Amino acid sequence: MIDSLILQQGSDWRAQAEVFDEIFFVFLALGTLIGTIVVAYTLWNVYKYRDDGGEPKEDFDAPEVGELPTGQGGPKAKKLFLSFGLSAIVVISLVVYAYGILLYVEEGPDSPEENIEIMVEGYQYGWDYEYPNGHTESGEMVVPADTRIDITVTSRDVWHNFGSSELRIKSDAIPGDTNENWFSVSSEEVQAQGGEATFMVECFELCGPGHSAMKSQITVIPEDEWETWYEGTGGNSSSVEGGVTADGAASINAAAIGGVSA
Amino acid sequence: MSELPPTTSVKRWFVTTNHKDIGILYTITALFFLLFGGVLALLIRMQLWDPTSQILSGLAYNEAVTAHGLIMVFWFLSPFGFGFANYFVPLQIGADDLAFPRLNALSYWMYLFSGILLGISFFQGGTLSAGWTMYAPLNIPMYTPSIGSTGAVLALFMFVVGITASTVNFLTSIHHSRAEGMGIMDMPMFTWSILATVWMMLFAFAALLAVGLILASDRVLGSVYFSATEGGSLLWGHLFWFFGHPEVYIVFFPALGVMLELFQTFSGRRLVGRKWVIISICLISVQSFLVWMHHMFLTTINLEIKTLMMATTIGISLPFDLVVFSLIYTLIKGRIQFTTPFLFAFGALLLFILGGITGVFLGAIVLDYEFRGTYWVVAHFHYVMFGGATALFGGAYYWFPKVTGKMYDELLGKIHFVIFFISFNMVYFSMFLGWETPRRVFEYNPEFQIYHQFGTIGAFVLGLSFFIMFYNFAKSYVSGEPAGDNPWDYSRTAEWAVSSPPPLENWPNRPSYASGKLEFVKDYVPDGGPAVKADAEGNAATDGGDNHEEHISEYPYWDKHPSHASIWPFAISLALGTVLLGLSGFSESLSFVLGDSIASTTLNVSNPVYPILVVVGLVGMVWSGVKWGLQDFYAPPSEFAERWPFEGVEKVKLGMWFFLASDVIVFGAFLSAAIFVRYNAGWMTWEPLTESLPGLINTFVLITSSFTVILALVAAHRKSRQGLLASLGATIAFGFVFLAIKLWEWNHEIFDRGVTINANAHGDPVQASIYYVTTGLHGIHVVIGLLIAIYLFVRAYQGHYLDDERPIEYFGLYWHFVDIVWVFIFPLFYLF
Repeated sequence: MIDSLILQQGSDWRAQAEVFDEIFFVFLALGTLIGTIVVAYTLWNVYKYRDDGGEPKEDFDAPEVGELPTGQGGPKAKKLFLSFGLSAIVVISLVVYAYGILLYVEEGPDSPEENIEIMVEGYQYGWDYEYPNGHTESGEMVVPADTRIDITVTSRDVWHNFGSSELRIKSDAIPGDTNENWFSVSSEEVQAQGGEATFMVECFELCGPGHSAMKSQITVIPEDEWETWYEGTGGNSSSVEGGVTADGAASINAAAIGGVSA
Repeated sequence: MSELPPTTSVKRWFVTTNHKDIGILYTITALFFLLFGGVLALLIRMQLWDPTSQILSGLAYNEAVTAHGLIMVFWFLSPFGFGFANYFVPLQIGADDLAFPRLNALSYWMYLFSGILLGISFFQGGTLSAGWTMYAPLNIPMYTPSIGSTGAVLALFMFVVGITASTVNFLTSIHHSRAEGMGIMDMPMFTWSILATVWMMLFAFAALLAVGLILASDRVLGSVYFSATEGGSLLWGHLFWFFGHPEVYIVFFPALGVMLELFQTFSGRRLVGRKWVIISICLISVQSFLVWMHHMFLTTINLEIKTLMMATTIGISLPFDLVVFSLIYTLIKGRIQFTTPFLFAFGALLLFILGGITGVFLGAIVLDYEFRGTYWVVAHFHYVMFGGATALFGGAYYWFPKVTGKMYDELLGKIHFVIFFISFNMVYFSMFLGWETPRRVFEYNPEFQIYHQFGTIGAFVLGLSFFIMFYNFAKSYVSGEPAGDNPWDYSRTAEWAVSSPPPLENWPNRPSYASGKLEFVKDYVPDGGPAVKADAEGNAATDGGDNHEEHISEYPYWDKHPSHASIWPFAISLALGTVLLGLSGFSESLSFVLGDSIASTTLNVSNPVYPILVVVGLVGMVWSGVKWGLQDFYAPPSEFAERWPFEGVEKVKLGMWFFLASDVIVFGAFLSAAIFVRYNAGWMTWEPLTESLPGLINTFVLITSSFTVILALVAAHRKSRQGLLASLGATIAFGFVFLAIKLWEWNHEIFDRGVTINANAHGDPVQASIYYVTTGLHGIHVVIGLLIAIYLFVRAYQGHYLDDERPIEYFGLYWHFVDIVWVFIFPLFYLF
């Protein structure tokens, strides 16, 4: 999973989900390790230095009410700075590492073929997808495999957030503003899901009473099938049934959930 | 009125201005809101039990989510910490009370009435349902139309007004009233945490006040800031998070202060690297204002800014590392006593470590992209904020014997801790496991149902565990063992040096640390003069004496007895609450139909209740404000006190400066909003809506009025009553001229040019909103200034201020500030 820290370019670039899995694993492993060490060390010391009712040691200097703090540095300041330095090194190197990956995610990979640009517009409570030829889909984004899909996300009413957990993509949809993101799904993935891969889309920003049911779906099909489908759209608007009303969105949502858990 | 009734009298609790009484009021009220917010949390958890069935509608769920967040963050966490701060900061620094006791009572009543307004909002067609972050434009009436939504926004506004008063009060107290010999680095760590907290609050809450005012204006007056596509949504994001990130530390620091105290008291060790911990706390306070955009990584801010914010975010985690290590190392070689307070403080540290580590995940932008809007964030901030509050419960057990004089039941306390700690992790750790669930969504992926059900069970156990604490406190208060003055073996701070509970004015004699430790010294008070330090025999000391004589001579009332009671804080708060309740339904009850001129404009009143409330409340405010001013209330300054770094500044003047500093941020936020929206709209596409000549005249009018205020001060100093009346009168006259020109200008804009608060015949409607709201806010400042000036004028006519011209001076500070603000408004709205 952590095999390649050097990000690849060209045809075998990595999807955001893969990038995320790697960095999440690194953080989780290090976080668990450090957390365990710190907590175990603390618990051990708390146990070791418990007040067992015996006589205090000779060097124990009990504080008194009304004393002013003396020795602002304290005898253990050296140890304090050592621990501080170590934690700083860990945290900063983690961030430098994460920053390299950020640059990749921001830039996106070079795609050998032409990218497909899709306008995503959120509304209460659903998503519209507008293709370069002017065709608009509601409730479902149909895209080809092995192609970098560039999305431009906006909103026509309130602040939404367009996100697909499985693809690890997310973008704020802000009225009056456009936000860019990209994703791609390999044909192997599409084959593995039986010739048509579907990914649930959810809204990740509270947008009103129907927020919970604001779901949609990304459908990835093989490139040639998609070409045929795309030519058939001819710039007309069509609407997948439902999708517009809250009820309809809920039914799609149930279907999408079923698909994921199956 | 100034006599304080006994604690058994109900009347006492309405009139008291004593910091200990108010601390108790804060704590009890905050615990009530813990229950209120907790019940809402349980509603949320029940809704999450099964993703396919609902007990609440989508709207009701959103209301529960919103109110839960607002109540816990604003009406529980901060006031709970400040209950302790009220009670113990004056004791820890050796003061008799806070600097402004009546203002302290005012803050409390504002807090209580704002909470009542929030409660009422549930019955005004449903409370706000836009989330506690209230993202625009969901927060405007087009999307959240209920009257209760406006009510909740106004409740928050009122809360912030109270908070601002409290902030000024604590800043002045800590910087002005420390006992002799207690330098700023010598303050106990709890007081240090509170000092850092109030410094952050001074600026952060001013930003919230500004953004709350703009939102209230959008909701009540119909301006169009947040619906504007010229950056309206992002404007909210920036202003809210500029407040919102410091707010995290504002909520956490009082708890951190309790941890720092309790770790020392129950290990018998002094804090390791104390100086560095204090430096870290100060660094965090400054840095907290430089990281807000990490809440907005997924918006359209550019990569360079994101990188900068990532760096500052990581930067702010480092001082926290140091503080955590210091806490851990303090325990080593101690004699650790596992009392209930220590268990809670120690539990808080463990929870905070987990919250901190998961926070580092969020600092990495790529991870944040995926965590945004999910339960990872929810789990993280509950570990940090509620994990911190865990220490506050430790504080409640720690100080219970001091406040009541009775010991709590140790066994029940430990049982509470065990159940609390386990169920806490059940609720919030399960959120990490099911983190892919989007936030505020109840129709989630059934894959995660097991985690959410586990969390729901934990939540009910967690909620019930508090009843063990309530029972413990109630039982112990009635029949607990007497606790004595100092029940703890290794306590250090001064609150343990006095009786439990402490006497009304805290100290047997004047506390002093001049010898390096706390002593109570008796001062020599000659007949007809201020106190001076006494020598060993109790006679006036000849060497040294008062080292701040100039402070004492400024108080002509030195021989008066301190006052502890006033009903006017309660009255003003009640009146302001009435105004705001009226304003919540104002726009639904009234409508203007614009004619060709002001004469042909008609006003339709569909529901007289709300407008009547506004009028009654306003009259009540002015009346109780005047009564407040006339009340003979004496809060003595601490005569021999440490005041670094404000040695030469008198108490009220210091308070005034703090207030003006926060007002700078308020206007700064308004002007930034104007610039931000204009930038997004295309700077050069806007022309000034107004003609520059009236603005120019008004600039001269205001500057001249600043000059006449100085003349008034000079006249008062020279004891010339006529000069004082003439100069004050001139100031008032200039103020009215300014307002008259302003009104003419508005009249001209509305009826001749078709520019109203939400319509603009010459360009973007939001430009008109910004013009009216910004100049309107300045206008309100002028009106308030005029009200004060008229009050001063009448009092000067009666012969006051010739002995003591300070009220004139402080009014002058405010008036100059209002004039300076205009100097910034003028070019932005009249020239370019």
